[in-house]
Amino acid sequence: MGLGISTLEKRIHLSKETGSPLSTQEYFVNMGPQHPSTHGVLRLVLKLDGETVKEVIPVLGYIHRGIEKIAEHQTYRQSVHLGDRLDYLSAFTYNWAFSMAVEKAAGIELNDRIQTIRTLFAELQRIQSHLLWWGVFGMDLGAFTPFLYGFRDREMLTDIFEETAGARLTMNYIQPGGLMYDLHPNFVKKVKNFLKYFKPKLKEYDALLSGNIILQQRLRKVGILPAEQALSLGATGPVLRASGVSYDLRKQEPYGVYPQLKFEVPIGKTGDCWDRYWIRLEEIRESLHLVEQLIDHIPEGKFMLMKPAVKIKIPEGSYYTRLETARGVLGVFIVSDGKEVPYRMHFRTPNFNNLWSVTAMAPGGRLADLVAILSSLDIVVPDIDR
Amino acid sequence: MGLTREPLIHKFPFYLEPIPGGSLVLASLDKMINWARANSLWPLTFGTSCCAIEVMMAAGASHHDLARFGAEVTRPSPRQADLLVIAGTIVKRMAPRLRTLYEQMAEPRYVIATGSCAISGGPFIYHSYTTIRGADEIIPVDVYVPGCPPRPEEFFYGLLTLQKMIKEGETIRKPGVRRRPVLAALPPGITLSQIQKEFQKLLEEKACVNMQEAQEKGKIFGRKKE
Amino acid sequence: METQTLLEKLTALEPTVMPREKSDCPAITISPELLLGFMKKLKAEPSLAFNILCTHTAIDWIAENRFELIYQLYSLEHAHSLRVSTSVPRDNPLLSSMSSIWRIAQWQEREVYDLFGVLYHGHPDLRRLFLEDDWKGFPLRKDYQDDFMLEKPEWA
Repeated sequence: MGLGISTLEKRIHLSKETGSPLSTQEYFVNMGPQHPSTHGVLRLVLKLDGETVKEVIPVLGYIHRGIEKIAEHQTYRQSVHLGDRLDYLSAFTYNWAFSMAVEKAAGIELNDRIQTIRTLFAELQRIQSHLLWWGVFGMDLGAFTPFLYGFRDREMLTDIFEETAGARLTMNYIQPGGLMYDLHPNFVKKVKNFLKYFKPKLKEYDALLSGNIILQQRLRKVGILPAEQALSLGATGPVLRASGVSYDLRKQEPYGVYPQLKFEVPIGKTGDCWDRYWIRLEEIRESLHLVEQLIDHIPEGKFMLMKPAVKIKIPEGSYYTRLETARGVLGVFIVSDGKEVPYRMHFRTPNFNNLWSVTAMAPGGRLADLVAILSSLDIVVPDIDR
Repeated sequence: MGLTREPLIHKFPFYLEPIPGGSLVLASLDKMINWARANSLWPLTFGTSCCAIEVMMAAGASHHDLARFGAEVTRPSPRQADLLVIAGTIVKRMAPRLRTLYEQMAEPRYVIATGSCAISGGPFIYHSYTTIRGADEIIPVDVYVPGCPPRPEEFFYGLLTLQKMIKEGETIRKPGVRRRPVLAALPPGITLSQIQKEFQKLLEEKACVNMQEAQEKGKIFGRKKE
Repeated sequence: METQTLLEKLTALEPTVMPREKSDCPAITISPELLLGFMKKLKAEPSLAFNILCTHTAIDWIAENRFELIYQLYSLEHAHSLRVSTSVPRDNPLLSSMSSIWRIAQWQEREVYDLFGVLYHGHPDLRRLFLEDDWKGFPLRKDYQDDFMLEKPEWA
C-alpha cells in the first residue's frame, strides 16, 4: 500500500553530501545512550554541519521496561509503585496521580487531612525536583559547584521524606484511599526549619549562577520555542509556560487543596532557555509560599480510609485524570472492564511530550547550545520510555 | 624514639623495620599495588534509571561524599575508568551497549551491581518483555548492593567490600574463570544459598507452596519452561 | 462548554458521530474514514478550538476483534476536554495520521505502531519507537506470545 515502514538506518542515510571540495560536509554523530549530558539513557543522532546542528533524531527504548503491560496483570494497589519508577524525581506526584485516578473512578471520597498532606508533599517534591534540576543544569553547562549546593539542600528534604514515608527516592506513600503512614511527629518542625533555612539560600543561588555573564550569554535567545509550536508539539509544564502560554493545571483544573490557596504562576516571554531557567527558580519560591500557607493548618483526621487488603474494583469504562508535576502534565488513562486488574492502563507522561520540542529548537544552533537546550527541558528518560 | 615494632599492616600494606640510621619498609609489591588500586577506583558514569540518582549522584554529592573513599573521579569514557557501577534496569536494547562498555574497560576492572534491577530484574521481572533479569547475565559482577534504590550508605558498604576484596589480592581475573559475586549486605559467614534455603522453607511452611512442584513447572527462580 | 452543548455542536458538524458510553468526560465515536476531516474541523472551529492533543493511545478489544484508537483533546481557550475514539479491525488496522494537525501526533502514533501494530497513512516517518527495528510482534496486544516473558506465579 506504499506505507513504507522505515528503519533507523534508512532515516539516517537520507542526507546528501555537499558538492565542491572547499565546502563543508554534513555528517552524523551519535550522542550515545551512555553520555554524561543526556540525563539518562537517551540516544541522540545529530546531523551536524561543522558545529551547527542541522537535525536531531532522538532514539528511544534503552530503558523501555513495558510498564503498561505489567500494569495489565497487577491489581491497582500493586501498580502504585510502578509510577514511582517512571519519574523518580516526582515520585509523590506520580503516586498521587495514580491514586487520584483510581479514587475518582471508584468514587472514593477523601477527607481534608489526606488532601492537605498530599498537597504538602507534592509541593515539597516540586522544590526538591527543581533543586536537583538546578544542580545538574549548572553541571551540564560546566559549573560543578551548583551540583553540590543543590544536593546539600535537597538532602534536607530527603531526610524529611524519609522520616515520614520510609524511603528516600521511590516512596510509594500516597495510596488509593489515603496515605501509607501517618505524619511523623517531627514533620512540621522540620519543614519549618527548612523554610527558614532555605529562603536566604535562594539569594545565594542567584548570586552563584543566575547573574553570571557566561550563563546569561549561553541561555538568552538560545533555543527559542514559539507558543504555537509549543502547543502543537504537546509541551506542558515550565517548557510551555516559558513560551508565554498560561497553562497550569493547579489553576485551571484544581485538585487537592489548591482551590483554597493563593499562589502565582510565572509565565515567560520569549521561550528561550533563560525563561525556562528563571521560571523554575520562581516556581521554587511559589512552592515555598504554598508550603508556608499549609504547614500550620493540617487538619486532624484519619490518614487511610480503606483497609489495605481490599482489592479495589473500578466500574466499567474509561477514565482520564490529570495532574501537574514538576515537569508538566501527567495523565493516567485507565480502561476497566469491571475486574480487579485494569484492561488497559496508559500514562500520558510529561517527559515524552516535552522531549520532541528539541527537534524544533536545536536546528540552527551550535552543539554547545544543544546541551543547554536539552538540560533546560528537564527530562527524565525512564518517563519517556516507560 | 617513636618508632614502633608492631606492624602497621592494618593501616598500610608494609612492615616498618627500624634499623640503625633510619628504618626499612618491607612490603610485597602486589599488596602495595592492590592498596593503591583499591583506594583510587575511578567509576564510569553509567546510570540508567532511579538508582543513578541515589547511587551515583547523591552518593557523590554533599552529605554523602564519595570522594573520601577515593572514587571521586567519575569518567565518562570507559577507557579511562576501572569501576563500572550498574545503577538501574538493563533492558534488551541496552544490553549490547553495556557489554561494549565493559569490554572497552582495561583490566583490572570491577563491577558493582546496585539496586534490585541490576541484581535480578527488580520490580519488573513479571510480564515485562524487555527487562533483563539481572545484569550478571551480560557481564560478570563482583559485588551486589541490594536495595530499591540502595541508600548511599549501603552503596558505600558495597564499595568498601570491593576495596577489601581488592586488597586481599583479587586483581587480574583469569579468563574463563567466573568468580562468585559477593552480596554486600550480609554479615560475614552467611552465604546467599543459605538465605535461599531459609526462604524456601518459610514459603513451604507459611504459604503452603510445594517448592518441588513449583520448580518443576519452572515457574519460580527460573525461566518459564515449555 | 457544557457536555450537552458540546455534543450537540459536534453532531451538527458531523452527523454520524455517536456518543461513547461509560466515559468520565465527553466522548464520541466516529468511523475511521471521516476522522481526519473531523479532527481538522475540531481544531479550526473557533468555538471548539481543540489545540492540544493530550494523548493518543490504543485499546486491544480482542473479544470484539478490533482496536479502539483514543484521542484525548483539550482546548486551552474554552477549557473543555473531548475524547474521540475510532475502531479499526484487528486484521487490517489502517488509519490516517494526525501529524499534519498536531505535530506531537507523529510520535504518539509511532508508539502505537510499535506496541500495537496500527498503521498510519500519511505519516512522515513510521517506524518503531521503543523496540528494535527487527523486533517480531507487537507487545501490547493481548495475544502476544514471547518465550522471554516471565509469568507471575499464582501465589504471588
